[in-house]
Amino acid sequence: MTLEAPPFNSPPRSEPPARSMIELEGLTKRFGNRLAVDHLDLRVEAGMICGLLGHNGAGKSTAIGMMLGQVWPTTGRVTVFGRDVTSERSEALKEVGAIFESPVFYDYLSGYRNLEILSHYTAPTSRQRILEVVEWVGLSGREHSLVRTYSHGMRARLALAQALLPQPRLLVLDEPGDGLDPEGIHEIRRTILRLHREMGMTILLSSHLLNEVEQLCTHLVVMRQGRKVFDGTLAEARARRKLVRLDTTDFDSAFALLREANLAIEKHPGGRLTLAPGAATEEVARLLVNHHLPVRELVREEMTLEDFYLELMKHAATAPQENRSSNPGLAPG
Amino acid sequence: MFYLQLRNELWKLFGKKRTYIGFIMLLLAQNIFNLTFKFTGAFRLYERTLEGNGYPAAPFLSALSIYSIMLIPLAALLLPLYVALVGGDLVAKEAEDGTLRMILARPISRIRLLVLKWLAGFVFCGVLVLVLGALGLGFARLYFPWGSLFFWNPELGIFAVLEARAGFWHYALANAMLIPHAFTILSLAFMFSCFNVKPAAATILALSGLFVDFILQKMPYFRDFQEYFVTYHLNAWQFVFLEPVPWWRVGESLSLLAAFNVTLLVVGAVVFHLRDIKS
Repeated sequence: MTLEAPPFNSPPRSEPPARSMIELEGLTKRFGNRLAVDHLDLRVEAGMICGLLGHNGAGKSTAIGMMLGQVWPTTGRVTVFGRDVTSERSEALKEVGAIFESPVFYDYLSGYRNLEILSHYTAPTSRQRILEVVEWVGLSGREHSLVRTYSHGMRARLALAQALLPQPRLLVLDEPGDGLDPEGIHEIRRTILRLHREMGMTILLSSHLLNEVEQLCTHLVVMRQGRKVFDGTLAEARARRKLVRLDTTDFDSAFALLREANLAIEKHPGGRLTLAPGAATEEVARLLVNHHLPVRELVREEMTLEDFYLELMKHAATAPQENRSSNPGLAPG
Repeated sequence: MFYLQLRNELWKLFGKKRTYIGFIMLLLAQNIFNLTFKFTGAFRLYERTLEGNGYPAAPFLSALSIYSIMLIPLAALLLPLYVALVGGDLVAKEAEDGTLRMILARPISRIRLLVLKWLAGFVFCGVLVLVLGALGLGFARLYFPWGSLFFWNPELGIFAVLEARAGFWHYALANAMLIPHAFTILSLAFMFSCFNVKPAAATILALSGLFVDFILQKMPYFRDFQEYFVTYHLNAWQFVFLEPVPWWRVGESLSLLAAFNVTLLVVGAVVFHLRDIKS
């Protein structure tokens, strides 16, 4: 993608941006007997890159479908830019761009014609504007070729172009890297970051790729079986568990001692411990030294998103149904 | 904006190769009919009917007569098949391909989208019927001379003999009347297309519906209730060959077909509005 090209100009907004871009309140969707989304509360604030993380079938796409007025909620409320999507869909979606997994187009038409057709569903769009966006996404010279001749990467750029044409303030991306090669995924990620940094776009990114979310998102929402199991910043997710690596002469005795003193709650392979909430490393070192256990190394380790996610899923799976509320145990305070 | 969006729907419709399958097959059928009438004794039955009614057969063996007679099987068999194919595609194909999800991520209402597609379907029917009418007559003229028009459908009690000039206008009018005929079939397939079904299912459901309607209409038990069947009113185009045209009968059928079409649109719109659009 020609990321060096200057971003196209967005006209100044006359009205102040709404603080909350997306707000879901008790959103539930049931398909027959299957509960796809279960009392989901979510707020995406302006300026966020919010990652919606969860395995396949967790309810992410259904939740996005409800945000875009494609899927009717069974109960609950969805507002986008402060407007109810169910009753004021046209107004709510005026400044929203969306990309779905494996983008599909009218293959028998040119890329340009596809953009023209799709953009006219929002508002009349000038030829100049279309060409500007085509250039920005790096499709110049191929815009008049039939889409069926496009590579997967070019389709992804076209999908981005169609999402950017209405000059959105909010981008909803449902698995945008799906089916792309590593280079294509890298380009898409760079573009998402650029849209956020340079144009101040708020982005909701649904993904099941942990590293994608880790690289891009400022905020994280994890879903499992239609329920939200975590909602917080990425930093909060990482800091949720205080993991330390301890090198001492007798690790098991050290752990037993720390647990008795309510300073540690779990031990892990490789001499690692999970400290209890509020436990400080100085306190741990002092206790061990006082009990004649030499501390050769005591290092704080940051939990990776993968560790966090897997632990969250494990916890959510074993937690009793009634306790699986929004942030079971692992949620930030 | 509405016209811009309608233009886009027409681009989508006429940009697809499968839209032209109907055109090609109907043109092929026209030529097969022409050759059959030219090189076999297919017109002999019509000759006997004309002579039995005191008309000389020769002036009526014309391009106008041949194509008008040919219109009966084309309108009953091939035209429904191809318009149902296109009608069944209009919504269901976009849902199946996933483009519908992309459209409905934009601030266009579902009802507006459906109306646009429905109107695009109407334009398609108009173009299909008029192009086929013009080309059909053109092809028939290659094989047969210009002359008077003879149109006969014993089932409907239609027997029309017209001078070439008057015959041409009646022929043109019949073709124009075929547009609501084709559009009604398209609307039926379009309505099914609004349900959560595959495009082929929408087409098959529409054709099955018409077939059942036709069978019931032809059953002796329902003879007194014929006017309650859609296929009865789909024949209205044939009555404009009569001189004078029974406008009351034609107008009644047209009004009922218009109401039927609007009903189909409303049912389709309600179903489509309530549907969840998922990948």
